[in-house]
Amino acid sequence: MHQLDCDETAERLNLYLDRELSDADVVQVREHLSECPPCERIFDFQAEVKRLVRKECCSDDAPARLREWVRNLSAKDPQPPA
Amino acid sequence: MRSVDSDLGFEEHLDALYRSALRLTRKPEDAEDLVQETYVRAYRYRHRFQPGTNAKAWLFTIMANAFRNRARLHRGVEEPIDEPGTDFYIYEQLRREGTPLHLMSPEELVVDRGFGDEVKRALEELPLPMRMVVLLVDVEDFSYKEAAGILSIKIGTVMSRLHRGRRALQKRLWDYSGRPKSASIAVGAG
Repeated sequence: MHQLDCDETAERLNLYLDRELSDADVVQVREHLSECPPCERIFDFQAEVKRLVRKECCSDDAPARLREWVRNLSAKDPQPPA
Repeated sequence: MRSVDSDLGFEEHLDALYRSALRLTRKPEDAEDLVQETYVRAYRYRHRFQPGTNAKAWLFTIMANAFRNRARLHRGVEEPIDEPGTDFYIYEQLRREGTPLHLMSPEELVVDRGFGDEVKRALEELPLPMRMVVLLVDVEDFSYKEAAGILSIKIGTVMSRLHRGRRALQKRLWDYSGRPKSASIAVGAG
């Protein structure tokens, strides 16, 4: 099997992080990361930034008033247009 | 008592829709308005929704269309941005700065450096096409394929916008965190 070098791994890192690589590619990236601490650090860091963006942006919940409004709307059970 | 829509599963995505609407419109009252429009449309066209399929993706598609229509009405010129440089901008900057990266966990690196508080602002400043893709993939965890479907664009376009969006986001986070850029040179007073 082809062994990825650091550049090839860097190109695939975001796809790997987003779980968009094929199974075969995942195996290759994992193999490189397990043997290359500098690349592994970059990967861990990128993963942390992604996690952070998600965490920070998930802190706003819908206001209670809006939730109530949606409940009322769903309770009315509007019919599709004729 | 379960509400009528519990079978459709629309209501459980309210928080996700609201927080995305907030990042898109940047204003709580506009975000609420956009979410209301989304739900009104969702119920009006509910006969087009197949129960059991991805309700979240369906609702986000409706919201993206509603938002696009609004943005078209009072469109400002969006500056396209394409930051040069690496995909791992913050990491590279820290490395250049001489931070002992191997001694710190990634979490320590981002949290201790104060990148947390500015994330929302950095995201809201991205041009809309990139902001939408970053929101869908990084915050709401949609796949590239789902994001492409929601925005009616190609997967390749999702990838390039995501790529540019993340790069710009990292650069902004770095700038907001008040750290010197690697290129800058310390200059004495005067």
